[in-house]
Amino acid sequence: MDSRSALGSDASGGLPPPVAGPPMDRRPRSSAILPPLLMTVAILVVVSGGYVAAGALSERVGPPVMIGGAVRVSPLSGWQVARRFTDPPGVRFTRGVGNLDVLAASFAGDASGVARRYVDRSLKPNAVRLSVSPSTVPVRLGSGLEGVRLHYVGSFGGEQASVEGEVTAFVTPSGIGVVFDAWAPQGLLQYVVDDTRAMIEDAAVG
Amino acid sequence: MAASLPPQDRFRTAERRRDLRATLFQFDQPAFWFYVVIVVVTGWYAISRQNVFHHISPSGWVLSWGLLIVYALPVFLAVYLLDLYEREPMSLVVASVVWGAVAATTLAGLADQGWGLVVARLGGPEFASRWTAALTAPWVEEALKVAGVVLVCLIAPNRVDDMMDGFVYGSMCGLGFAVVEDVFYFVGVFGGTTSGVLEGFYVRVVSSGLYGHVMFTGLAGMGVAYCLSRNGQASLRRRVGVAVGLFAAAVVGHFLWNSPWLDLFPSGLSSVGDWLLIPLAAAVKGLPLAAFVIIAVWLARRRERRWLHAALSSELGTPGISASELGVLLDPVARRRSVRQMRTRAGDRAASLLKRLQREQVNLAMIRARSVPDHDPELVRQRKQCKSIRDALMAMPGAAPAARPTAAPYGSA
Repeated sequence: MDSRSALGSDASGGLPPPVAGPPMDRRPRSSAILPPLLMTVAILVVVSGGYVAAGALSERVGPPVMIGGAVRVSPLSGWQVARRFTDPPGVRFTRGVGNLDVLAASFAGDASGVARRYVDRSLKPNAVRLSVSPSTVPVRLGSGLEGVRLHYVGSFGGEQASVEGEVTAFVTPSGIGVVFDAWAPQGLLQYVVDDTRAMIEDAAVG
Repeated sequence: MAASLPPQDRFRTAERRRDLRATLFQFDQPAFWFYVVIVVVTGWYAISRQNVFHHISPSGWVLSWGLLIVYALPVFLAVYLLDLYEREPMSLVVASVVWGAVAATTLAGLADQGWGLVVARLGGPEFASRWTAALTAPWVEEALKVAGVVLVCLIAPNRVDDMMDGFVYGSMCGLGFAVVEDVFYFVGVFGGTTSGVLEGFYVRVVSSGLYGHVMFTGLAGMGVAYCLSRNGQASLRRRVGVAVGLFAAAVVGHFLWNSPWLDLFPSGLSSVGDWLLIPLAAAVKGLPLAAFVIIAVWLARRRERRWLHAALSSELGTPGISASELGVLLDPVARRRSVRQMRTRAGDRAASLLKRLQREQVNLAMIRARSVPDHDPELVRQRKQCKSIRDALMAMPGAAPAARPTAAPYGSA
């Protein structure tokens, strides 16, 4: 056969057929399954290990702190009481540059009202500049109590650096408004917010 | 069964069987299904994240992808073409990019956040704000990206036979990761406006694009390839040591990049000096590892050439390859030139046949390198295969240069 005519229709058509190659690499099924299983374990450790380790490091230390007779907060390791307020009654917990202010007072209204009132009466009067998120998001404690959350950024008093904060507010069935204000210099809140949320989640409100 | 088929079909059947070993779609490999499950599950999350970015800034999101494709295509080609003698199957290369872009970015996002909590718990918020990126991302992201290279090795075990292969697959994982991460930065950090995206592109791609994920994971991929391809040539201890060492080098390079050390980056872009300072600052952090990677790739390519020469030298005088063909094969420039010349002389089909002859001669080298006896049936079969392609090529009009019957039959070295 003329190789040219064969190649005219198919470049490989005129070539002698090669004998079948070596058998394909097929390992026993059990040994082929093992590496993906090991990879699954390794990926799980890498992805979830941090959460497990952080959970183990976040121990409740010291006795719970009572605020206004309505809220009991258990500080995580590294957090300590830095200051107490009297009007309204409250406590400031601190860890480095991260802070959590917890305030409790009688209130007739819903959680959004408490949050708005805190912004109007506590944040705005002390702010040189303040920007508050236009809407609130709902939150729910482990006990089932529902509340709201909002965020703000601003400069306060003589401080040069901006502060960012996350306000979480509830109203107990007995009519006590409770505010948790987690705040830190702008850019640093993300490094304490998991702690503050965990403390809020665990707080006994009511 | 094959014996009853006409010759063309028998040839195609054998080719197809061989090609099957060189694609992503190894349905009988558990690693393939593992890859599919991870990519599908993380893909859902990755798409939802892109939807968020698109919602935040539709025009910024489109501009980000447009700019990054302009950056990624040449990088893709440059890395793909680095492998001189045996280009990797496109399906596996694309699978590596997808792994980096979809699976590695999604899993790393979750993992970085979790390990960030640990840094914040142990060091406090001020320490965490300075060091989280350096202490979490390097090892987390390198581990998850290089997992893509390991998966490719498990899916198609015969494909990764040299360090260059590992570099190609690793770099492709890194490229996919870098593109998706850059979209996040352009929209989420630089604001998603046109000026913000362009600023981000200048900072992260124009000034620093050479030093990032492509390089880190290319290096780690070389280690994986060394470990898996040198079975029988180096001790297990040495193979694992090299793999761990190169992975550690990638992690250290990534750590230096993310750490506050040697940080000459300006705090803002308010003057021309700030803009000019960024490439300089990036070079200070990235150039040492870039130099290391360039040397490692150069050594790997040199080794690949030495390997090819050693494997095929013993085949000279057999029907598999001639001295002039070997000369052309060893020189990538001459190899491309010979195909170009063949196309000019004898047309596309002849050029395609010549490319196949060269590919089969590289396959001949791979069989020879297994230290099989001279009369091993597979070796003999491959020599015949090369000869038959050469014969068919020489029979094509214009393929054989008439004036130089004893010289290189299809080109010059």
